Amino acid sequence: MKKKMRVLATVFALSMALTTLSACGSKDDAKSNADDPNAKDTITALLPPVSANFQSNFDQMTKDFNAKYPNLTLKIEPASWEDMTSKLDTQVNAGSPPDIAFMGSDGISKYVQQGMLMDISDTATEEMIKDYDAAPLEYMKNGKGLYGFPAYMEAHAIGGNKEFMEKAGIDYKKVQKEGWTFDEFREAIKKGVVSEGGKTSRYGFVFATAGVTSKDYLGILVKSAGMPAAFDKDLKYAYTSKNFLEVLKDIRVMIDDGSMPKELSSIDAGKRWNMFLTGQTMITGKGLAGFERSAKLNNEKLQNKDASAVKGSIPVDYVVLPVPSFAGAQAQASVAVDGYVTFRGTKEPTAAHKANVVKAANFLSSGANAATTNNELFVAQITESSRKAAESMTVERDADNKAAVEAMLKTAVPARPDIPTDLGAKAIKLEDEVIVPKLQALIAGEITPEKMYDAVKSAAVSAFGEDGVVKD
Amino acid sequence: MALYHTHTGRPPVKIARNTVIILVLLAFALATLFPIYFMIISSFGEPVEAGAMDYKLFPSSFSLESYKFFFQFSEYTYRWLLNSLIVATTVMVTNVLFASMAGYAFSKIKFKGRALIFTVLLVAMMIPYQVTQVPLYILIVNIFHIQNTYTALILPGLVTVYNIFLAKQFMGSIPNEILECAKIEGCNQFQIYFRIIMPLSKTVLAVMAILTFMDNWNTFFWPFLVTNSMDMQTIQVGLKNFRFANTTYFAPMMAGATISALPMFILFFSLQKYFLEGVTVGAVKG
Amino acid sequence: MTEYAKPIKRRKIKGDAAWGYAFVAVAVLVFAMFTAYPVVSALIISFQEYKPLGSTFIGLENYTETFKDSLFWKAVVNTIIYTLLTVPVSLFLSFAVSILILPLKKKLQTTFKAVYYLPAVASGVALSVVWLWIFDPMPVGIFNKVTSFFGLGTHNWLGSSAYAMFSLVLMAWLSSHGTSIIIYLAALLGIDGSYYEAAELDGANFFQKLWYIVVPCLKPTTLFLLVTGIIGSFQVFQNAYLMTGGGPDNATTMVGLLIFNNAFKYFEFGKAAAQSLVLAAIIAGISLVQFKFLGKDVEY
Repeated sequence: MKKKMRVLATVFALSMALTTLSACGSKDDAKSNADDPNAKDTITALLPPVSANFQSNFDQMTKDFNAKYPNLTLKIEPASWEDMTSKLDTQVNAGSPPDIAFMGSDGISKYVQQGMLMDISDTATEEMIKDYDAAPLEYMKNGKGLYGFPAYMEAHAIGGNKEFMEKAGIDYKKVQKEGWTFDEFREAIKKGVVSEGGKTSRYGFVFATAGVTSKDYLGILVKSAGMPAAFDKDLKYAYTSKNFLEVLKDIRVMIDDGSMPKELSSIDAGKRWNMFLTGQTMITGKGLAGFERSAKLNNEKLQNKDASAVKGSIPVDYVVLPVPSFAGAQAQASVAVDGYVTFRGTKEPTAAHKANVVKAANFLSSGANAATTNNELFVAQITESSRKAAESMTVERDADNKAAVEAMLKTAVPARPDIPTDLGAKAIKLEDEVIVPKLQALIAGEITPEKMYDAVKSAAVSAFGEDGVVKD
Repeated sequence: MALYHTHTGRPPVKIARNTVIILVLLAFALATLFPIYFMIISSFGEPVEAGAMDYKLFPSSFSLESYKFFFQFSEYTYRWLLNSLIVATTVMVTNVLFASMAGYAFSKIKFKGRALIFTVLLVAMMIPYQVTQVPLYILIVNIFHIQNTYTALILPGLVTVYNIFLAKQFMGSIPNEILECAKIEGCNQFQIYFRIIMPLSKTVLAVMAILTFMDNWNTFFWPFLVTNSMDMQTIQVGLKNFRFANTTYFAPMMAGATISALPMFILFFSLQKYFLEGVTVGAVKG
Repeated sequence: MTEYAKPIKRRKIKGDAAWGYAFVAVAVLVFAMFTAYPVVSALIISFQEYKPLGSTFIGLENYTETFKDSLFWKAVVNTIIYTLLTVPVSLFLSFAVSILILPLKKKLQTTFKAVYYLPAVASGVALSVVWLWIFDPMPVGIFNKVTSFFGLGTHNWLGSSAYAMFSLVLMAWLSSHGTSIIIYLAALLGIDGSYYEAAELDGANFFQKLWYIVVPCLKPTTLFLLVTGIIGSFQVFQNAYLMTGGGPDNATTMVGLLIFNNAFKYFEFGKAAAQSLVLAAIIAGISLVQFKFLGKDVEY
């Protein structure tokens, strides 16, 4: 036994030696050691394929950046969307993240809590800040800190088939301008259903809810039910409100009406888009601005009898529609603000490096770079400089859709930098461990809306306390 | 002579038996092969986005567009294949060598602490990689500073516990008498390992080679973590670039998957000689 | 190797033992660096609230929280159910297939080996896309077509608690067994012909030979496949993640998924480390039982 212990001790000692090494060896990526603003410096950026041509522009972007700031080098690491978070998270946990990463602003609070984001509010110049629209810029804040620059703000809408809606007698132009209530929406999607002998060949509404996408579905609906965020103004957890139960009931009722398929719980994003293009549904969600282009491309292929058109598809005019409002609340558009977030390593970054990172983030999120990408995505420009740069570019976009999106953006849910990170983290965990699983069961028809509401309420009370939740 | 009756002199019985067996095997194969079949036929489709993907059992059109698209997608496509080849081959060779050595020692050589070391190795295998990955990343990137190098890609996989375990289980059944004979004839342990154990273990070493190669060829996450430029990525990391925000170029992705599966077939068929001739002790004795 | 040489030299080890240490040296060194070191780090982290900029020691809190967490235990139960339903079945299927391949002519042997090995070479993501299509919930789905053909109606395979776990298990049954098959075949080919000869002289039939020669001779291989299979199955989360996201109502949430979420989604790295070590302890316990029952290497 003694000998065995000795061997074990040796293995252990070796490992410990390495652990000690790690403690003093964790050098970090603050590359510029002098405070000289003209010293050579490299800025690293981890970027996903934001738009189809985004990654192929990397070389050009690096060149342009170097031309603008000859002493600086921008080093871009490409990554795919679904893997980029896991890479970033590993790097953050290891204490050596890239200087800049492109991500959703909803992820900011998680990294702030880790202490790994770089507050640039003291470094970003007035001139830079002025360039950005106020609403999206707010999304890049947490508490008092500013943690990067926004790239775009996209409204989460739903999308309809023009022909089917006209046939069902829906005045979609009016809806685009004025919005609709859930009751109006419910009647409309009922009219969109086509069935014969108990078999439905077309549904009124299909939303992707398979797996984790169900989170999107609920998230988008509750915004228009008087709950723009998980916490109200007094930082009380909002999803215990009776309006939440209303939304859950409405989710169920659309399936029970037969307007949505009973198999909804396993329809994913690809499937519902296929259903939309093949005329199996009148309205689909969530709808992103770029869908208009996808539909147009398919229409062209159909016209040219191109074999690569979606099989069984029909020509479709994609109409942007706002999400209906629930329980008499004001409709508020759920928005996604993505942007270039600034990170720091284990070592405090020098002022010069910080300034260089800010330059790079600003370079990526404004002017010609932003103009090209946002146009490609069919999303609005959110900086003055990119608006100017985009003037010379042409985008073929349906005018009504464009107006509808702009109307929605006016009702965009405001950012909530005041929500403390620990509360935010608790809410995310509650969402993942209780709300999403129960929602999946609700959609699959396994539990009642009341039961789900009770489960969420009791979990919320145990997480935030009796006084930490909304009661009405 | 064998597990099966040879039916000498009664060929019809043998033919009937083998036909039944083949039919059973085929039926089961059809079920497991379906995803692969789908992968290959889809790769001959047009390069369209996944939302527009039409799932069908039989291809309606045949086009090599996706293969062209795949090779033109990035200037690094060939480089990715080469990188994968370098990494997988190196790791394959080191594993066959070191794992068989360790496996032999653990199964046939008596030394103090043998059981303990082996147990420690096995227990470590049971710890999920999600947790060890960050410390490992710290080691490679923050301590050794070797990110974006072949060394970083190869080193952690140099020899795996899985392969040591596999080698040990197989070598355990080599009769001790042979080893004893060799010792009496004056062979040292290295000679025994090289002249007796290696040839007797050809089959399992071939299996180990192909499994290790495949595993490293297919591995995605580690190369993804430690590479940060296109020219050092492996094919699996490169393939992922086909996935865009809300869409996937489906057919080219499948074409890429098909192309990346090819080297494994080549390896498989070049090693089949070893797979098929089970090395029996008798053969060596005689 | 040096780290073992010291204490041993004093006791005058025989030549063989030195060779033993030499042979395992590289393996142990690689292991110490790239496995033991991360594992020890994880152990330390499991007693901390981990932050890259400085962790705080919190004692056993991560462990007590894990033991109190009902979702963790639900995930453990799910994982055990999944393992019990998949590993033995896969093992039996691969064993049966390798036995069936054995009598065929060389060319056919190779063909079938290649055919069964094929699915292993396809990337997991590509395969999951196909499986999503097979489990399409609408009546046009492939699996729904099959079940309605047999009068069993259509089902929401991945979207309902009743079927989601079954669907994942079915996917495992019909996925690749190629690795196990080629390992089994390698073992089968290594069985010395003289055993069969002797048995034949005793008048043994096919099944007797199978039971008295093949099964005992393959014991070490079976043990290997069982242990590694269970380890793999306990750590798996990709299928559940890609196909069901752990839902509905956590019906397919596996421990691997929880650990992943804790480590990365919530950045509770200490808790993830604690859960991993608990999971490892569970697997180690199960493996210990297996070694007890199957462990004795067959000597012949």
